[in-house]
Amino acid sequence: MAVEISAPPPRSLRGIAVPKIVIVSGRRVLSAILVIWGVVTMTFLLTRVFGGDPVNLFAQPTATAADRLAIRQRLGLADPIPVQYVNYLRDVIHGNLGTSYLTFRPVTSDLLDRVPATAELATYALIFGVAVGVTVGVLSAVFEGSIFDRAVRIFTSAGLALPQFWVALMLIVIFFSQLHVLPGPTGRMPIGMQPPPTVTGFYLLDSIITGHLSTFWPALRQLILPVLVLGYGVASPLARGARASMILALKADYVRTARALGLSRARTWFVYAFRNAMLPVITMFAGTVAWTFSGTVLIEGVFGWPGVGQYTLNALEKSDFPAIQGFVLYASILYVVVYQLLDIAYTFADPRIRS
Amino acid sequence: MTTSLDQAVETIAPKPSLSGGAAAVLGAIRSFRSSSGTLPIGLSLLAFLVLMSLVSLIWTPYPPTATGAGAFSSAPSAAHWFGTDAVGSDIFSRTISAGRTDVFYTVIAVAIALVIGSAWGALAGFFGGWLEAVTLRLLEVVQAFPSLLMALLIISVLGPGTLNVILVVAIIPIPDFVRLARAEVLTKKTWQFAEAARMVGNRPLVVLFKHLMPNSWRPLLAYASISAAWVCGNIAALGFIGVGIQPDAVEWGSMIARGESDVVAGAWWEALFPGLGVLVLAIGFQLVGDGIAARNRGEQR
Repeated sequence: MAVEISAPPPRSLRGIAVPKIVIVSGRRVLSAILVIWGVVTMTFLLTRVFGGDPVNLFAQPTATAADRLAIRQRLGLADPIPVQYVNYLRDVIHGNLGTSYLTFRPVTSDLLDRVPATAELATYALIFGVAVGVTVGVLSAVFEGSIFDRAVRIFTSAGLALPQFWVALMLIVIFFSQLHVLPGPTGRMPIGMQPPPTVTGFYLLDSIITGHLSTFWPALRQLILPVLVLGYGVASPLARGARASMILALKADYVRTARALGLSRARTWFVYAFRNAMLPVITMFAGTVAWTFSGTVLIEGVFGWPGVGQYTLNALEKSDFPAIQGFVLYASILYVVVYQLLDIAYTFADPRIRS
Repeated sequence: MTTSLDQAVETIAPKPSLSGGAAAVLGAIRSFRSSSGTLPIGLSLLAFLVLMSLVSLIWTPYPPTATGAGAFSSAPSAAHWFGTDAVGSDIFSRTISAGRTDVFYTVIAVAIALVIGSAWGALAGFFGGWLEAVTLRLLEVVQAFPSLLMALLIISVLGPGTLNVILVVAIIPIPDFVRLARAEVLTKKTWQFAEAARMVGNRPLVVLFKHLMPNSWRPLLAYASISAAWVCGNIAALGFIGVGIQPDAVEWGSMIARGESDVVAGAWWEALFPGLGVLVLAIGFQLVGDGIAARNRGEQR
């Protein structure tokens, strides 16, 4: 068990040999590239080899065989599969994810246009979820067996079992339809209201930067419910992980030693035990990030949020393969990158792994 | 104290270099949840749903697919216990009938995942070599797909429909079963009973499936139950998006989708009750899974 150790790890970064970082990071980058190549190949196989013929989406019912061939050539689907594969790989490397069958625009720019909306939502949800999840988890470990601990257990169990889209609808019912304290699911702004001029794409930040403070409050109100739903989903597993990890840490020998040496209870808990307990939670966080970015698909649908999730839902409804492929690629690259970054961070945060 | 479930959990943990810490946490989560009452409570919840589904076969207050059984979008009342939806269908009748679809498809999908995943993982763990190497690489790639995305991608290729939905939600948990079964076989193939089974001249496959696997069914079953909670959530999610079994099917997710616009206008009952169905099913499976895992640990101690 990696968590049971006898002394708190020194926090200084001295002693890291530079070549080690390069080797570890290099290996991570290589493995990340391999995984992404695998994802690209898999999406290609799924959509091109096993997928239906997208020509039917474009061709008139009266189209002749020649018409259909022309469409196929225009879409690059007339070539043999291996040729298509090489072309596809080349395009992906150049950041070209193809042209959406629906918007007739490059999928890359479609996605980029919508990333800020999703990123704003996911960022606040992650901040909220991590803050609440870790705090609540650590406290329920410290007060193990208390009423608070039991309440947390029920809330986190529910958080893991509840379908998020349903939680979202129920919150809309309570706070919009019944209590009228929060806005309805109309996206990032109330209907008819202009967003602040774009600087970062994050409405809250933009409203401050550009001085359009009148848009700050409405934008914030639109964010509350979706952030709450996503954040709840983030907080539930993290709270459980933090609790379990903290309980192990509190029982470790070094905590007893620290107490015996006369250090205060609060100091042993929140400095010694907490630091060690958080290492495994960093790992869970990586999974949470990926989960949040794909969880937004349904939540964006419910709240009319104009992000990549809603784009994907539309694409799905209309069999817009390039768009779906593009989104899957975007999500898995995000996942792999976040995962490898955290893995490297983790390696160098924990001296036992580092040495 | 290292139980097989701990090891299993370790193999499910995300990445090799991190698995120590993560496994400890996951193991601890499991063990702290495993108060003794979970199995009976979980089983009663599932039994309740199965009973409702069976009842709905012979009796529902109104035909579940009948439109205009009552007024449109009327609140719960004596005539319609759970209210009616936008086309006047009785939500109580639909909710208990939908249980049939969701429970049945969940069980089938998990069974498919359990059988394929376990057999695959067991073979990879038992024979090693290129099969194992390819399997491990493949698992790493599959892991980079967030699961719902994978479902969406596959369903967008296969198209909607009952069979495709079951297939898709069954494919998602397969990697976990592969990992779990492989770890089980890896640890047990060197045990004495396996050695003995080999020595008396049994063929490798017989040793694997007749002697090794029967000793590993508990952790696999525990995980099957826990993953069923996710599977039923995924079925509902696909139904909600509208790529599920079929649009307007008597299925909880599709029911929530049908009620969505009314719900925003205040008709909470159109989403509340089908959602509770998913919730009870998911919690039931989770508790049963925890219960089996706890029992498993208790016996090995």
